[in-house]
Amino acid sequence: MLSDITLGQYFPGKSFIHRLDPRSKILMIIAYIVMTFIIDNFTGYIVLGVFLLICMVNTRIPVKFMIKGLKPVVFFIVFTAVFNLFLTKTGQVIFKWGFLTVTDEGAKNAAFMILRLIFLVMGTSLLTLTTSPIMLTDGIERLLSPFGLIGLPHHEIAMMMSIALRFIPTLIEETDKITKAQTARGADFESGNLLRRIKAMVPVLIPLFVGAFRRADELATAMECRCYRGGKGRTRLNVLKLGIVDLIGWIVVAVFVAGIVLTNYYGVF
Amino acid sequence: MIKLENVSYTYMPGGPFEKTAVHNIDLTVPDGQFIGLIGHTGSGKSTLIQLMNGLLKPTEGRILIDGQELFSKDVKMRDIRFKVGLVMQYPEYQLFEETVEKEIAYGPSNMGLSEDEIKSRICYAADLVGIPDEMLKKSPFELSGGQKRRVAIAGIVAMQPTTLILDEPTAGLDPKGREEILFKIKDLQRRMNITVILVSHSMEDIAQMADRILVMNKGELSMNETPQQVFARGDELAKMGLDLPQITKICNDLIKAGYPIRKGIYTVSEAVEEIKRLKFV
Repeated sequence: MLSDITLGQYFPGKSFIHRLDPRSKILMIIAYIVMTFIIDNFTGYIVLGVFLLICMVNTRIPVKFMIKGLKPVVFFIVFTAVFNLFLTKTGQVIFKWGFLTVTDEGAKNAAFMILRLIFLVMGTSLLTLTTSPIMLTDGIERLLSPFGLIGLPHHEIAMMMSIALRFIPTLIEETDKITKAQTARGADFESGNLLRRIKAMVPVLIPLFVGAFRRADELATAMECRCYRGGKGRTRLNVLKLGIVDLIGWIVVAVFVAGIVLTNYYGVF
Repeated sequence: MIKLENVSYTYMPGGPFEKTAVHNIDLTVPDGQFIGLIGHTGSGKSTLIQLMNGLLKPTEGRILIDGQELFSKDVKMRDIRFKVGLVMQYPEYQLFEETVEKEIAYGPSNMGLSEDEIKSRICYAADLVGIPDEMLKKSPFELSGGQKRRVAIAGIVAMQPTTLILDEPTAGLDPKGREEILFKIKDLQRRMNITVILVSHSMEDIAQMADRILVMNKGELSMNETPQQVFARGDELAKMGLDLPQITKICNDLIKAGYPIRKGIYTVSEAVEEIKRLKFV
């Protein structure tokens, strides 16, 4: 179950998208997210779908892997779709049964909601899959640096993010190990009522928290030993550079954004 | 008796990070022996022992514990885990209870034993691994690293398993602590006539303790022999990134220098006997 979490997982590669500057990728993803929400017709989603498909093929990440990333949000998608389907009261009624009414607008809203969420998850997971956590936080730090002028601790924010991302796999591994150790001592996580199951988690959670604090402590010491004292005056090993790849990338994105905006006016259905 | 038939285990099959950790293992672990399990880092030792008590389900092949097949419908996995006790690497990180006493009681109470029985098990296990009575009321988090390790081992020993598997129980302990823990384990094995499987990187420990040695190399079981036979194959061990006990190395050097000493000596006392026999001209 825990290995299903693809969030924050990096899939190494050398594709065009892998080579894009993280700053470009983050801004492109923001443009992409805006697109998923301003589209109001199916033609637009087809255009967006083509764009996503091109990106997915380019990265060479197995489709199975990407679909797996959808699993944890399936419940959320179904939930929002059902709400939109039954609670939209405007539009023509196309189905009525007891207190449940479905209007054509409701059906359309529900369909849009499903598409939006799927596009959202697939697109954003493409970002984390093709960008190593270090690159990602470097990008965020640079993008946030203008706000440093008004007192935003952009370096600290980026550092906290990279530490958090860095420790996701470690904590997952640790959980797995502790779960195994307690299973070997006869812990039973799978039977009994809810209360019993929650209680059964205690022997896993306590060592996990103790371990997390221990690691935080060790990390802080290690950082201090290497004279870490925040962002001021720090230089970096790899300086981010925009290149020809980014130019081509932005042209492609611009074409698609224009196409999608146009479908809002000239969309067929 | 633990029996593995054609067992393979693959991590994340079909995924991008697929890795076969254990490949095609046929193995019978006889009762009442002290088995040493050695192998280079990443050779599949830890995977192998986790297969033995059903923490991992083999991707291929089957495992029988006293004739019962793991993961077959009528076998309760929990009962298997009480029978085959596993002390994982760095077990002190699994401690969670308020007191040492409760910590040791966790396994036995999961077995559904009576309160009196649990109490006697606590005394039994604490005594075996060398935990003094006054420590039982303390919090396991106040103890030193070596003491925590003992508490964790006691937690498994208290379940009185017929097979005890320990994954590097002495890693990171001081020499005195190592010696003591190993000695206690050997003593337990002799007294209760249980099977012990000890995973270790220390050839000295293995040489001192084991009746039989299993050598893992790149996921395969490459040797399953007596210590004497295994340590006579020093060149092969070196190729797998494994070392010989120091005393064996000294004897080998003596052989090279032309002294008539037999091969495969692995304890100091043996070496002393052998060297005494030599007639110095």
